[in-house]
Amino acid sequence: MPQSNLRTIYSSLALAFFCILLPWSGLALKLRPDFLLITLIFWLIRAPNVCNIGTVWFAGLMVDLITWGTFGQYALAYTITAYCAIAYQKRLVLFNHTQQLFYVFLLLVVAQVTLLVLKAFSGEYLIGWSYFLPSLTGILLWRIAVAFGLNTGGRARGT
Amino acid sequence: MALGFNHNIDQHQAPSLFARGPSAFARLVFFTALSLALIVTDSRLQYLTEIRKYLITALHPLQVIANTPANLYSDATEYFSTHARLLTENTALKQQALEQGVALQKLNSLAAENNHLRQLLQANQSMKEQSVLAEVVHVGRDVFTKEIIVNRGEKHSIAAGEAVVDANGVIGQVTRVSPLTSEVTLITSKSLAIPVQIERNGLRAIALGRGRDNTLDLPYLPTNVDIKRGDRLVTSGIDGVYPAGLSVATVTQVDITPDSPFARIICTPTGGTENFKQVLLVQIPQNAVQLSNALAEQSTPTDTASSNAQSATQTSQPTKPNHATQASQANAIKSGQHHASE
Repeated sequence: MPQSNLRTIYSSLALAFFCILLPWSGLALKLRPDFLLITLIFWLIRAPNVCNIGTVWFAGLMVDLITWGTFGQYALAYTITAYCAIAYQKRLVLFNHTQQLFYVFLLLVVAQVTLLVLKAFSGEYLIGWSYFLPSLTGILLWRIAVAFGLNTGGRARGT
Repeated sequence: MALGFNHNIDQHQAPSLFARGPSAFARLVFFTALSLALIVTDSRLQYLTEIRKYLITALHPLQVIANTPANLYSDATEYFSTHARLLTENTALKQQALEQGVALQKLNSLAAENNHLRQLLQANQSMKEQSVLAEVVHVGRDVFTKEIIVNRGEKHSIAAGEAVVDANGVIGQVTRVSPLTSEVTLITSKSLAIPVQIERNGLRAIALGRGRDNTLDLPYLPTNVDIKRGDRLVTSGIDGVYPAGLSVATVTQVDITPDSPFARIICTPTGGTENFKQVLLVQIPQNAVQLSNALAEQSTPTDTASSNAQSATQTSQPTKPNHATQASQANAIKSGQHHASE
């Protein structure tokens, strides 16, 4: 693995982490896509040898830290999602863009559901269906990135 | 951002002849176990509190940088706000200052009179609490948390348990402190209970956050309780954490259903739990801690009284935030039931 790619991966992850740190509040917070998880999924598909479950777990731990929540909740949610992504990685790169988009949506929902279960166990109040909005804005972000030429390995429709 | 990524990585196309490291499933099992261990350690034991403190302090510079764009934007809009708006704001503030000045004069004479009366009665002097002004750094990072982070911490001698107020009333309590920042749990959070008093008739109760739509609950009050819509709730001060007499909430809904022995009372906080920038952190009055200890010693004869006094000491010394809030919640329910049985 060339050094520059490693640097690309980690700087993009750092940027995504920084996006979460921005002072979101109100509606923006409800709509905020999980930048870090989306970036992680991208690298899990594109560079599985570098960005693996360990990286994802560590990233999840960082999110746990900045949300002031119980350590390990985001880490576990991200780990399970990463496994789902890696398990189908070889097929995912052969999917066309629409199929890929659907699968990424499923991955984001898996992460959110895991988190929901963990938070429910720790006695948090559950908000309604709007809880899943970040998954929708997440795939919107993914689609925009693909439209701008981000190579996710997927083929355009019809090719 | 996206265009640069095209040329490089074709990892997925090269079939891996040799497995690199452990399999994905092994990694999943390992990291899941690790996460679960962390969850249990963090929620049941206190080992990670210190580590979290240092890590959060280490991340503080990054947080400051992340807040810069928003701060710059608000500064810029303030700078470009029109002359006329500033003038009207100035007039309003002058008027407010005048009104408050008059009120303060009254308050001073009342305070002097109160002191005098207390001396006549030989009652304890109520202490003036010190407070620290803090600014909100950010609100909770995910949708679950009813918390805000403020920019004052251990370095500014903030301690867990301090009351947090804004111009209109109590908004919460400091639950965790790191060297430079602290976490404030809002009164609308499910895990926070606050002892209150109805301003109109002095009836004591405990308000619990509902955890949703920014409201508070007054649970376990009988259906014939003397509470009306529009009643103001103020802190009672008997917990020794919140200074007495601070505005907390206004009663917005009183439902009495024949199938429930308790009235359903919903209140809206008077403080801006969602919209504010500056807040005051009010120190826990030291004499209140001593007083509650003394009370606990005095009132040993009867069972209920001692349990209430113990609860007062517990709530007034929340050294372990999670446990303290849990304890206060449990006590809230306990004393609520006690109240109802009366």
